Amino acid sequence: MANQKQSDTVRCVIVTPEQTSLDTQARSVMLPLFDGLRGVSHGHSPFIGRLGAGEVRIVGEQGGPADADRRLFVEGGFVEVAHDQVTVITQRALPVEKVDVAAARADLAKASGEVAAGDEAIDAKLRAVQTARALVRAAEARR
Amino acid sequence: MAKARALDRRRKSVRNIRKITRTMELIATARFKKAMDRSVAARDYTKHLAKILGNIASVGADVAHPLLEIRPTKRTAVLVLSGNRGLCGGYNSNVVRQGVALLGQWKSEQVPAHVSVSGKRGISALKFRGVEIAEPYTTFEDKPEFAAVAPIGRAYLEAYSAGDIDRLDVVYTKFDSIARQQAVTETLLPLAPPQATATTAAATLASDDYDFYPSAASILEEILPASFLSRLFKCFLDAAVSEQVARMVAMKAATENAGGLIKSLSRQYNRARQSQITGEIMEILGGVEALKK
Repeated sequence: MANQKQSDTVRCVIVTPEQTSLDTQARSVMLPLFDGLRGVSHGHSPFIGRLGAGEVRIVGEQGGPADADRRLFVEGGFVEVAHDQVTVITQRALPVEKVDVAAARADLAKASGEVAAGDEAIDAKLRAVQTARALVRAAEARR
Repeated sequence: MAKARALDRRRKSVRNIRKITRTMELIATARFKKAMDRSVAARDYTKHLAKILGNIASVGADVAHPLLEIRPTKRTAVLVLSGNRGLCGGYNSNVVRQGVALLGQWKSEQVPAHVSVSGKRGISALKFRGVEIAEPYTTFEDKPEFAAVAPIGRAYLEAYSAGDIDRLDVVYTKFDSIARQQAVTETLLPLAPPQATATTAAATLASDDYDFYPSAASILEEILPASFLSRLFKCFLDAAVSEQVARMVAMKAATENAGGLIKSLSRQYNRARQSQITGEIMEILGGVEALKK
């Protein structure tokens, strides 16, 4: 893909409350929507979606290493896809390389160990467990 | 000689003070630039959130949400953002005055207020005025982090949805421009309803019909708390930027003032020295005259 044309790519922008942490061109982007992964490449129809916890995978980034994808862990948020631009709006975007596996495991153990009573507490617990599990998965997958 | 020496000593101490204030001015300038960069970088997030909110509002989704509904205020919460340090002109006192006025208003309406204050200066000033502070924060300096602000915001959201508070006002210094900062009271809860940005929304709607996953209502449910948190974070950022500007301006004035003081002290010192010398010459001449006789 050395002579990749501009028109075959999507622009991927990741915005957090503190800054725009990434703005790049890529062949496609894998997004962790609330109910599963969804890939977006050139020419995708516009949509706005809710993200779950998981990793955003940027495939075939221009100027990036050819063999490895850039991967960021996001914890919820939104994505807007329109005009070959993917805008990920999230409260936290952490490069997967920087995830602390031990801390992630400890979080998972703590989240699953908690006793929840009442609908809201159960929801909160499920969400915490899911987030922690996604974080552990992301951390382990890189090895 | 005594007077001239005292003047010289004063001049020296004023010089030292000028050195300190000038350094503080430089530090405040550097910090202001950094804080400003952070504040500018944070604007993207708000912009994108507003865009999505506008899109949702323009497709005519039902925008009823507990965070948007206006309830009669039975209990209120007030968050005052001040600085940890002084030497920044009227920055802290303006915020405190605004806060006290707001609290006085709630008191006259007999609405109990849950008061949280960030910044040591604000905490001590409000304590002095007999305000009971529920949550003091002293960890926010010139670089507030979203990860530190978010838990505070989530606690407010929880209290609001549980009905413990019916309203949240934030008293902080809004940064309009480098020449203008103002202590303001902003109502963050209930949230202002999203506006369909009339002209642009109509234009974008014609070109791209967004699909919503899972649905516009569900996205709205998630996006409103996020929008609240980002607005709260913006208040913290604005307060940090304004504090540095206020300190910069105050220290610049202090440095200039010290310069003027040094000038006038030098003049007095020279005059005192000269009159002393004149006096001594007169004495010697007097002595010579006396010996001649």
